[in-house]
Amino acid sequence: MFERSWTDGLPVVPPTAERVRKMLGGTSRSADEIVVSVPPNLIECNVEKIAINAVMAGCKPEFLPVVISALETICTEEFNMHGVLATTMSVGPVFVVNGPIARDIGMNSGINVLGHGNRANSTIGRAVQLVINNVGGGGPGGVDRSTLGHMGKQGFCFSENELSSPWPSLAENRGYNSSQNVITAFTGEGPRLVMDQKSRTPESLIRTLAEHLISTVSSSVVVGMDAMLVLSPEHSARFHEAGWSKDRFLEEITGMMMIDTDNIIAGSGGIEEGLPAELKGMSLPKFRPGGLLLAQAGGPAGLFSAIIGGWLNGPSGSEPTSKEILL
Amino acid sequence: MTNTKVLLDPTSENAPAERSLSKRPETLIALTVGLLDISKGRGDIFLNRLEEKLTDTGIKVLRFKKPTFTKPAPVDLRHEIASKCDAVIEALAD
Amino acid sequence: MHDIDDIERRGIPAVMIASTPFEDAAQKQADALGLDIARVFVPHPVQDRTDEEMHEMADLVFNKVLDTLTR
Repeated sequence: MFERSWTDGLPVVPPTAERVRKMLGGTSRSADEIVVSVPPNLIECNVEKIAINAVMAGCKPEFLPVVISALETICTEEFNMHGVLATTMSVGPVFVVNGPIARDIGMNSGINVLGHGNRANSTIGRAVQLVINNVGGGGPGGVDRSTLGHMGKQGFCFSENELSSPWPSLAENRGYNSSQNVITAFTGEGPRLVMDQKSRTPESLIRTLAEHLISTVSSSVVVGMDAMLVLSPEHSARFHEAGWSKDRFLEEITGMMMIDTDNIIAGSGGIEEGLPAELKGMSLPKFRPGGLLLAQAGGPAGLFSAIIGGWLNGPSGSEPTSKEILL
Repeated sequence: MTNTKVLLDPTSENAPAERSLSKRPETLIALTVGLLDISKGRGDIFLNRLEEKLTDTGIKVLRFKKPTFTKPAPVDLRHEIASKCDAVIEALAD
Repeated sequence: MHDIDDIERRGIPAVMIASTPFEDAAQKQADALGLDIARVFVPHPVQDRTDEEMHEMADLVFNKVLDTLTR
Protein backbone atom coordinates (compact mmCIF):
# COMPACT_ATOMS: atom_id res chain seq x y z
CA MET A 1 0.00 0.00 0.00
CA PHE A 2 2.93 2.31 0.65
CA GLU A 3 4.25 1.66 -2.85
CA ARG A 4 0.91 2.65 -4.30
CA SER A 5 1.16 5.98 -2.42
CA TRP A 6 -1.91 5.09 -0.37
CA THR A 7 -0.32 5.89 2.98
CA ASP A 8 1.22 8.78 4.88
CA GLY A 9 4.47 6.90 5.44
CA LEU A 10 3.29 4.98 8.49
CA PRO A 11 1.78 1.49 8.32
CA VAL A 12 -1.97 1.40 7.72
CA VAL A 13 -4.68 -1.11 8.58
CA PRO A 14 -5.58 -3.13 5.44
CA PRO A 15 -9.09 -2.01 4.38
CA THR A 16 -10.82 -5.36 3.99
CA ALA A 17 -14.50 -5.52 3.07
CA GLU A 18 -15.32 -6.77 6.57
CA ARG A 19 -13.53 -3.91 8.34
CA VAL A 20 -15.08 -1.32 6.03
CA ARG A 21 -18.54 -2.80 6.65
CA LYS A 22 -18.00 -2.48 10.40
CA MET A 23 -16.71 1.08 9.96
CA LEU A 24 -19.85 2.02 8.04
CA GLY A 25 -21.87 0.91 11.08
CA GLY A 26 -20.56 4.04 12.85
CA THR A 27 -22.72 6.41 10.85
CA SER A 28 -26.41 6.63 10.01
CA ARG A 29 -25.51 7.86 6.54
CA SER A 30 -25.68 5.48 3.63
CA ALA A 31 -22.45 4.20 2.08
CA ASP A 32 -23.15 5.70 -1.31
CA GLU A 33 -24.10 9.17 -0.13
CA ILE A 34 -21.82 11.77 -1.74
CA VAL A 35 -20.80 14.05 1.09
CA VAL A 36 -17.91 16.17 -0.21
CA SER A 37 -15.98 17.13 -3.29
CA VAL A 38 -12.35 16.55 -2.32
CA PRO A 39 -9.58 18.91 -3.45
CA PRO A 40 -7.25 19.28 -5.22
CA ASN A 41 -8.87 17.26 -7.99
CA LEU A 42 -12.40 18.03 -6.73
CA ILE A 43 -13.45 14.39 -6.68
CA GLU A 44 -16.95 13.59 -5.45
CA CYS A 45 -16.50 11.35 -2.45
CA ASN A 46 -19.05 9.06 -0.82
CA VAL A 47 -19.24 7.77 2.73
CA GLU A 48 -17.76 4.41 1.74
CA LYS A 49 -14.52 5.96 0.42
CA ILE A 50 -14.19 7.89 3.66
CA ALA A 51 -14.81 4.68 5.63
CA ILE A 52 -12.08 2.84 3.69
CA ASN A 53 -9.56 5.55 4.53
CA ALA A 54 -10.79 5.67 8.15
CA VAL A 55 -10.08 1.94 8.46
CA MET A 56 -6.59 2.49 7.10
CA ALA A 57 -5.99 5.34 9.57
CA GLY A 58 -6.93 3.09 12.50
CA CYS A 59 -10.27 4.72 13.38
CA LYS A 60 -12.98 2.99 15.37
CA PRO A 61 -16.46 3.04 13.77
CA GLU A 62 -17.69 5.61 16.29
CA PHE A 63 -15.08 8.07 15.00
CA LEU A 64 -16.49 7.99 11.47
CA PRO A 65 -19.10 10.76 11.92
CA VAL A 66 -16.32 13.07 13.14
CA VAL A 67 -14.12 12.21 10.15
CA ILE A 68 -17.00 12.87 7.74
CA SER A 69 -17.82 16.21 9.37
CA ALA A 70 -14.14 17.16 9.44
CA LEU A 71 -14.08 16.69 5.67
CA GLU A 72 -17.28 18.71 5.35
CA THR A 73 -15.62 21.65 7.10
CA ILE A 74 -12.45 21.71 5.00
CA CYS A 75 -13.83 20.82 1.56
CA THR A 76 -15.51 24.22 1.31
CA GLU A 77 -14.85 27.47 -0.50
CA GLU A 78 -14.33 29.29 2.80
CA PHE A 79 -11.81 26.84 4.29
CA ASN A 80 -10.02 26.50 0.94
CA MET A 81 -8.29 23.15 1.47
CA HIS A 82 -6.75 23.35 -2.00
CA GLY A 83 -4.92 26.54 -1.03
CA VAL A 84 -3.91 25.11 2.34
CA LEU A 85 -2.48 22.06 0.59
CA ALA A 86 -0.65 23.93 -2.16
CA THR A 87 0.97 26.62 -0.02
CA THR A 88 4.70 26.48 0.65
CA MET A 89 3.99 27.55 4.25
CA SER A 90 4.02 24.93 7.01
CA VAL A 91 0.33 24.55 7.67
CA GLY A 92 -2.37 21.93 7.64
CA PRO A 93 -5.89 21.49 8.98
CA VAL A 94 -6.21 21.52 12.77
CA PHE A 95 -9.49 20.20 14.18
CA VAL A 96 -11.09 21.00 17.53
CA VAL A 97 -14.03 18.84 18.64
CA ASN A 98 -16.61 20.17 21.10
CA GLY A 99 -19.69 18.57 22.63
CA PRO A 100 -20.62 15.24 24.20
CA ILE A 101 -19.26 13.18 21.30
CA ALA A 102 -15.71 14.13 22.27
CA ARG A 103 -16.21 12.42 25.64
CA ASP A 104 -18.26 9.54 24.21
CA ILE A 105 -15.55 8.48 21.78
CA GLY A 106 -12.79 8.98 24.34
CA MET A 107 -11.01 11.98 22.89
CA ASN A 108 -8.20 13.51 24.87
CA SER A 109 -8.44 17.10 26.09
CA GLY A 110 -5.95 16.64 28.94
CA ILE A 111 -2.34 15.54 29.34
CA ASN A 112 -0.39 15.64 26.05
CA VAL A 113 -3.52 16.94 24.30
CA LEU A 114 -1.64 18.15 21.23
CA GLY A 115 0.54 15.06 21.12
CA HIS A 116 0.20 11.34 20.59
CA GLY A 117 -1.22 8.49 22.63
CA ASN A 118 -4.98 8.78 22.16
CA ARG A 119 -6.60 6.71 19.44
CA ALA A 120 -9.34 9.18 18.51
CA ASN A 121 -7.07 12.24 18.48
CA SER A 122 -4.42 10.38 16.51
CA THR A 123 -6.58 8.75 13.86
CA ILE A 124 -9.38 11.22 13.02
CA GLY A 125 -7.08 13.85 11.53
CA ARG A 126 -5.05 11.09 9.93
CA ALA A 127 -8.11 9.67 8.18
CA VAL A 128 -8.91 13.13 6.81
CA GLN A 129 -5.39 13.51 5.41
CA LEU A 130 -5.58 10.04 3.83
CA VAL A 131 -8.80 11.06 2.06
CA ILE A 132 -7.12 14.23 0.73
CA ASN A 133 -4.20 12.11 -0.48
CA ASN A 134 -6.05 9.10 -1.84
CA VAL A 135 -9.36 10.52 -3.06
CA GLY A 136 -8.43 14.16 -3.71
CA GLY A 137 -5.03 13.31 -5.19
CA GLY A 138 -3.10 15.80 -3.06
CA GLY A 139 0.06 14.51 -1.44
CA PRO A 140 3.44 15.89 -0.43
CA GLY A 141 5.66 16.65 -3.40
CA GLY A 142 2.63 16.68 -5.69
CA VAL A 143 0.13 19.45 -5.04
CA ASP A 144 1.30 19.72 -1.42
CA ARG A 145 4.23 22.14 -1.76
CA SER A 146 4.99 22.81 1.91
CA THR A 147 8.64 23.82 2.29
CA LEU A 148 8.93 22.33 5.76
CA GLY A 149 5.57 20.86 6.74
CA HIS A 150 4.98 19.87 10.34
CA MET A 151 4.25 16.70 12.30
CA GLY A 152 0.61 17.70 12.80
CA LYS A 153 0.00 17.21 9.10
CA GLN A 154 -0.02 13.50 9.94
CA GLY A 155 -3.37 14.37 11.52
CA PHE A 156 -4.09 17.11 14.06
CA CYS A 157 -7.28 16.78 16.10
CA PHE A 158 -8.06 17.39 19.75
CA SER A 159 -10.97 18.25 21.99
CA GLU A 160 -11.49 21.10 24.37
CA ASN A 161 -11.61 20.61 28.12
CA GLU A 162 -14.97 22.32 28.29
CA LEU A 163 -16.44 20.78 31.45
CA SER A 164 -13.95 22.29 33.89
CA SER A 165 -14.00 25.82 32.48
CA PRO A 166 -16.49 28.56 33.30
CA TRP A 167 -15.76 30.15 29.93
CA PRO A 168 -17.77 29.36 26.80
CA SER A 169 -16.16 26.81 24.51
CA LEU A 170 -14.76 27.55 21.07
CA ALA A 171 -17.96 26.11 19.55
CA GLU A 172 -20.16 28.26 21.80
CA ASN A 173 -18.24 31.34 20.68
CA ARG A 174 -18.98 30.29 17.14
CA GLY A 175 -22.73 30.16 17.67
CA TYR A 176 -23.42 26.61 18.86
CA ASN A 177 -24.62 25.40 22.25
CA SER A 178 -22.85 23.05 24.62
CA SER A 179 -25.12 20.08 23.86
CA GLN A 180 -24.26 20.17 20.16
CA ASN A 181 -21.43 18.12 18.71
CA VAL A 182 -19.29 20.51 16.71
CA ILE A 183 -16.04 20.32 14.80
CA THR A 184 -14.02 23.41 13.98
CA ALA A 185 -11.25 23.42 11.39
CA PHE A 186 -8.42 25.93 11.54
CA THR A 187 -5.42 26.20 9.24
CA GLY A 188 -2.42 25.95 11.51
CA GLU A 189 1.26 25.36 12.04
CA GLY A 190 2.66 23.03 14.64
CA PRO A 191 2.11 24.20 18.23
CA ARG A 192 4.68 26.33 20.05
CA LEU A 193 4.99 26.52 23.81
CA VAL A 194 4.57 29.72 25.80
CA MET A 195 6.17 29.57 29.24
CA ASP A 196 5.17 31.76 32.14
CA GLN A 197 5.61 30.10 35.53
CA LYS A 198 5.83 33.25 37.62
CA SER A 199 2.77 35.35 36.84
CA ARG A 200 0.22 35.20 39.64
CA THR A 201 -2.09 37.84 38.25
CA PRO A 202 -4.03 37.89 34.98
CA GLU A 203 -2.55 41.32 34.21
CA SER A 204 0.94 39.87 34.16
CA LEU A 205 0.19 36.56 32.45
CA ILE A 206 -1.74 38.18 29.64
CA ARG A 207 1.29 40.31 28.78
CA THR A 208 3.43 37.20 28.34
CA LEU A 209 0.79 35.64 26.10
CA ALA A 210 0.44 38.83 24.01
CA GLU A 211 4.19 39.15 23.60
CA HIS A 212 4.50 35.61 22.25
CA LEU A 213 1.46 35.93 20.02
CA ILE A 214 2.91 39.04 18.37
CA SER A 215 5.79 37.00 16.96
CA THR A 216 3.46 34.44 15.35
CA VAL A 217 4.59 33.63 11.78
CA SER A 218 6.70 36.81 11.73
CA SER A 219 6.64 39.91 13.90
CA SER A 220 6.09 41.94 10.75
CA VAL A 221 2.91 40.10 9.79
CA VAL A 222 -0.15 41.99 11.00
CA VAL A 223 -3.91 41.54 10.40
CA GLY A 224 -3.49 39.02 7.58
CA MET A 225 -3.00 35.80 9.54
CA ASP A 226 -4.89 34.27 12.46
CA ALA A 227 -3.73 32.17 15.42
CA MET A 228 -5.17 29.74 17.91
CA LEU A 229 -4.15 30.00 21.54
CA VAL A 230 -4.47 26.78 23.54
CA LEU A 231 -4.69 27.89 27.13
CA SER A 232 -3.74 25.25 29.69
CA PRO A 233 -5.80 24.63 32.86
CA GLU A 234 -3.29 26.34 35.16
CA HIS A 235 -2.96 29.38 32.93
CA SER A 236 -6.75 29.49 32.44
CA ALA A 237 -7.25 29.37 36.20
CA ARG A 238 -5.33 32.63 36.63
CA PHE A 239 -8.08 34.35 34.66
CA HIS A 240 -11.03 32.34 35.98
CA GLU A 241 -10.06 32.90 39.62
CA ALA A 242 -9.70 36.64 39.11
CA GLY A 243 -13.21 36.71 37.64
CA TRP A 244 -12.19 37.56 34.08
CA SER A 245 -14.67 36.58 31.38
CA LYS A 246 -13.49 35.21 28.06
CA ASP A 247 -14.71 38.41 26.38
CA ARG A 248 -12.64 40.50 28.74
CA PHE A 249 -9.60 38.32 28.11
CA LEU A 250 -9.95 38.70 24.34
CA GLU A 251 -10.59 42.42 24.56
CA GLU A 252 -7.58 43.09 26.80
CA ILE A 253 -5.19 40.92 24.80
CA THR A 254 -6.31 42.57 21.55
CA GLY A 255 -5.44 45.95 23.06
CA MET A 256 -1.96 44.68 23.93
CA MET A 257 -1.30 43.54 20.40
CA MET A 258 -1.62 46.87 18.59
CA ILE A 259 1.52 47.22 16.49
CA ASP A 260 3.27 50.48 15.72
CA THR A 261 3.98 50.02 12.01
CA ASP A 262 7.14 52.16 12.16
CA ASN A 263 8.81 49.19 13.84
CA ILE A 264 7.95 46.71 11.12
CA ILE A 265 8.46 48.74 7.93
CA ALA A 266 10.85 47.01 5.49
CA GLY A 267 14.37 47.99 6.46
CA SER A 268 13.48 48.76 10.07
CA GLY A 269 16.01 47.25 12.49
CA GLY A 270 18.19 46.27 9.53
CA ILE A 271 15.63 43.70 8.36
CA GLU A 272 14.56 43.83 4.71
CA GLU A 273 11.33 41.90 5.30
CA GLY A 274 8.51 44.16 6.40
CA LEU A 275 5.60 46.35 5.45
CA PRO A 276 5.80 48.84 2.56
CA ALA A 277 6.85 52.38 3.55
CA GLU A 278 3.37 53.79 2.79
CA LEU A 279 2.09 52.09 5.95
CA LYS A 280 4.36 54.12 8.24
CA GLY A 281 2.88 55.94 11.21
CA MET A 282 -0.04 53.58 11.76
CA SER A 283 -1.16 51.39 14.60
CA LEU A 284 -2.47 48.03 13.35
CA PRO A 285 -3.80 45.02 15.25
CA LYS A 286 -1.73 41.82 15.14
CA PHE A 287 -4.94 39.88 14.43
CA ARG A 288 -8.10 40.97 12.63
CA PRO A 289 -11.23 41.09 14.83
CA GLY A 290 -12.00 37.48 15.74
CA GLY A 291 -8.66 36.36 14.30
CA LEU A 292 -7.45 34.99 17.62
CA LEU A 293 -9.18 31.71 18.44
CA LEU A 294 -9.02 30.38 21.94
CA ALA A 295 -9.28 26.78 23.09
CA GLN A 296 -8.80 25.47 26.62
CA ALA A 297 -7.04 22.14 26.96
CA GLY A 298 -4.06 20.38 28.47
CA GLY A 299 -2.92 18.52 31.54
CA PRO A 300 -3.66 19.74 35.06
CA ALA A 301 -0.09 20.67 35.95
CA GLY A 302 2.15 23.03 34.02
CA LEU A 303 2.19 26.80 33.66
CA PHE A 304 2.47 26.64 29.90
CA SER A 305 0.16 27.31 27.00
CA ALA A 306 0.57 26.81 23.26
CA ILE A 307 0.20 28.94 20.16
CA ILE A 308 -0.82 27.46 16.85
CA GLY A 309 0.09 29.99 14.17
CA GLY A 310 -2.27 30.37 11.24
CA TRP A 311 -2.15 31.16 7.56
CA LEU A 312 -3.63 33.79 5.23
CA ASN A 313 -7.10 34.56 6.51
CA GLY A 314 -10.28 35.86 4.92
CA PRO A 315 -11.55 35.29 1.39
CA SER A 316 -8.01 35.23 -0.01
CA GLY A 317 -6.92 32.45 2.33
CA SER A 318 -8.65 30.15 4.77
CA GLU A 319 -11.50 30.91 7.17
CA PRO A 320 -11.92 28.90 10.37
CA THR A 321 -14.94 26.73 9.66
CA SER A 322 -17.30 24.93 12.04
CA LYS A 323 -19.93 22.30 11.42
CA GLU A 324 -22.32 20.29 13.55
CA ILE A 325 -21.40 16.61 13.50
CA LEU A 326 -24.14 14.45 12.01
CA LEU A 327 -24.15 11.07 13.77
CA MET B 1 -1.88 -22.59 2.06
CA THR B 2 -2.50 -19.24 0.50
CA ASN B 3 -4.01 -16.46 2.47
CA THR B 4 -5.09 -13.74 0.09
CA LYS B 5 -7.06 -10.78 1.29
CA VAL B 6 -9.04 -8.51 -0.95
CA LEU B 7 -8.60 -4.85 -0.10
CA LEU B 8 -11.01 -2.11 -1.01
CA ASP B 9 -9.58 0.76 -3.06
CA PRO B 10 -9.14 3.96 -1.04
CA THR B 11 -8.60 6.13 -4.15
CA SER B 12 -11.02 8.00 -6.36
CA GLU B 13 -10.69 5.39 -9.14
CA ASN B 14 -11.24 8.31 -11.53
CA ALA B 15 -9.21 8.35 -14.70
CA PRO B 16 -9.73 11.73 -16.34
CA ALA B 17 -10.62 11.75 -20.04
CA GLU B 18 -7.56 12.90 -21.97
CA ARG B 19 -8.29 16.12 -23.83
CA SER B 20 -6.19 18.09 -26.25
CA LEU B 21 -5.32 21.77 -26.13
CA SER B 22 -7.41 24.39 -27.91
CA LYS B 23 -6.45 25.17 -31.47
CA ARG B 24 -3.62 27.72 -31.62
CA PRO B 25 -3.62 30.60 -34.14
CA GLU B 26 -0.74 31.10 -36.64
CA THR B 27 0.13 34.39 -35.01
CA LEU B 28 -1.10 36.58 -32.17
CA ILE B 29 -0.51 39.81 -34.08
CA ALA B 30 -3.70 41.91 -34.12
CA LEU B 31 -5.31 39.48 -31.67
CA THR B 32 -6.07 40.17 -27.99
CA VAL B 33 -4.10 38.46 -25.27
CA GLY B 34 -5.41 38.49 -21.69
CA LEU B 35 -2.83 38.74 -18.93
CA LEU B 36 -4.22 37.17 -15.77
CA ASP B 37 -2.41 38.26 -12.64
CA ILE B 38 -2.82 35.64 -9.89
CA SER B 39 -2.18 38.32 -7.20
CA LYS B 40 1.07 36.96 -5.92
CA GLY B 41 3.92 39.34 -5.00
CA ARG B 42 6.12 40.54 -7.90
CA GLY B 43 3.79 39.07 -10.55
CA ASP B 44 2.56 42.54 -11.58
CA ILE B 45 6.11 43.71 -12.36
CA PHE B 46 6.66 40.61 -14.49
CA LEU B 47 3.36 41.09 -16.31
CA ASN B 48 4.03 44.81 -16.91
CA ARG B 49 7.10 43.81 -18.87
CA LEU B 50 5.24 41.10 -20.81
CA GLU B 51 2.56 43.67 -21.66
CA GLU B 52 5.19 46.08 -22.96
CA LYS B 53 6.73 43.41 -25.16
CA LEU B 54 3.39 42.12 -26.44
CA THR B 55 2.24 45.65 -27.31
CA ASP B 56 5.54 46.34 -29.10
CA THR B 57 4.95 43.19 -31.15
CA GLY B 58 1.55 44.48 -32.27
CA ILE B 59 -0.54 42.31 -29.95
CA LYS B 60 -3.45 43.84 -28.05
CA VAL B 61 -3.36 43.29 -24.29
CA LEU B 62 -6.11 43.24 -21.67
CA ARG B 63 -5.20 42.96 -18.00
CA PHE B 64 -7.12 40.90 -15.45
CA LYS B 65 -6.43 40.13 -11.84
CA LYS B 66 -7.93 37.38 -9.75
CA PRO B 67 -8.64 38.21 -6.11
CA THR B 68 -6.28 35.62 -4.66
CA PHE B 69 -3.64 33.18 -5.83
CA THR B 70 -4.87 30.59 -3.34
CA LYS B 71 -8.14 29.87 -5.16
CA PRO B 72 -9.30 29.46 -8.76
CA ALA B 73 -10.52 32.68 -10.39
CA PRO B 74 -14.24 33.44 -9.87
CA VAL B 75 -16.38 32.01 -12.64
CA ASP B 76 -17.55 35.47 -13.78
CA LEU B 77 -13.96 36.54 -14.29
CA ARG B 78 -13.13 33.42 -16.27
CA HIS B 79 -16.18 34.05 -18.42
CA GLU B 80 -15.20 37.69 -18.99
CA ILE B 81 -11.66 36.70 -19.95
CA ALA B 82 -12.86 34.04 -22.36
CA SER B 83 -15.32 36.42 -23.99
CA LYS B 84 -12.78 39.22 -24.53
CA CYS B 85 -9.54 37.42 -25.33
CA ASP B 86 -8.10 35.23 -28.10
CA ALA B 87 -5.40 33.82 -25.80
CA VAL B 88 -4.51 33.98 -22.12
CA ILE B 89 -1.29 34.12 -20.10
CA GLU B 90 -1.56 33.47 -16.34
CA ALA B 91 1.32 34.42 -14.03
CA LEU B 92 3.21 34.23 -11.75
CA ALA B 93 3.11 31.19 -9.48
CA ASP B 94 6.12 30.67 -7.26
CA MET C 1 -4.17 25.45 -13.23
CA HIS C 2 -7.90 25.05 -12.77
CA ASP C 3 -8.17 28.53 -14.36
CA ILE C 4 -6.19 27.50 -17.44
CA ASP C 5 -8.15 24.26 -17.66
CA ASP C 6 -11.41 26.21 -17.60
CA ILE C 7 -10.26 28.76 -20.18
CA GLU C 8 -9.03 25.96 -22.45
CA ARG C 9 -12.42 24.25 -22.09
CA ARG C 10 -13.91 27.45 -23.49
CA GLY C 11 -11.68 27.02 -26.57
CA ILE C 12 -9.18 29.78 -25.73
CA PRO C 13 -5.45 28.93 -25.90
CA ALA C 14 -3.85 29.57 -22.52
CA VAL C 15 -0.50 29.21 -20.81
CA MET C 16 0.62 29.39 -17.19
CA ILE C 17 3.90 30.75 -15.95
CA ALA C 18 5.41 29.50 -12.71
CA SER C 19 8.82 29.13 -11.14
CA THR C 20 10.86 25.95 -11.64
CA PRO C 21 10.18 24.21 -8.29
CA PHE C 22 6.57 23.83 -9.42
CA GLU C 23 7.37 21.76 -12.52
CA ASP C 24 6.48 18.42 -10.96
CA ALA C 25 3.36 19.77 -9.21
CA ALA C 26 2.19 21.17 -12.55
CA GLN C 27 2.80 17.81 -14.20
CA LYS C 28 0.77 15.98 -11.54
CA GLN C 29 -2.07 18.46 -11.76
CA ALA C 30 -2.03 18.27 -15.58
CA ASP C 31 -2.23 14.47 -15.35
CA ALA C 32 -5.14 14.71 -12.95
CA LEU C 33 -6.97 17.15 -15.20
CA GLY C 34 -6.31 15.05 -18.30
CA LEU C 35 -5.00 18.11 -20.17
CA ASP C 36 -1.35 18.72 -20.94
CA ILE C 37 -1.59 22.38 -19.98
CA ALA C 38 0.88 24.72 -21.72
CA ARG C 39 3.36 25.92 -19.15
CA VAL C 40 6.54 27.94 -19.00
CA PHE C 41 8.88 28.11 -16.02
CA VAL C 42 11.06 30.94 -14.78
CA PRO C 43 14.00 30.62 -12.39
CA HIS C 44 13.32 30.55 -8.65
CA PRO C 45 13.21 32.52 -6.34
CA VAL C 46 10.84 35.30 -7.31
CA GLN C 47 9.88 37.12 -4.12
CA ASP C 48 13.25 38.74 -3.41
CA ARG C 49 13.92 40.02 -6.96
CA THR C 50 14.34 43.65 -7.99
CA ASP C 51 12.11 45.14 -10.69
CA GLU C 52 15.00 44.93 -13.13
CA GLU C 53 15.53 41.24 -12.44
CA MET C 54 11.80 40.64 -12.92
CA HIS C 55 12.00 42.36 -16.33
CA GLU C 56 14.95 40.20 -17.34
CA MET C 57 12.97 37.17 -16.30
CA ALA C 58 10.07 38.25 -18.53
CA ASP C 59 12.45 38.88 -21.45
CA LEU C 60 13.95 35.43 -20.97
CA VAL C 61 10.67 33.55 -21.43
CA PHE C 62 8.80 35.91 -23.77
CA ASN C 63 9.38 33.94 -27.01
CA LYS C 64 8.71 30.63 -25.28
CA VAL C 65 5.37 31.96 -24.05
CA LEU C 66 4.37 33.09 -27.55
CA ASP C 67 5.38 29.69 -28.96
CA THR C 68 2.99 27.90 -26.60
CA LEU C 69 0.08 30.05 -27.79
CA THR C 70 0.68 29.78 -31.54
CA ARG C 71 0.98 26.95 -34.04
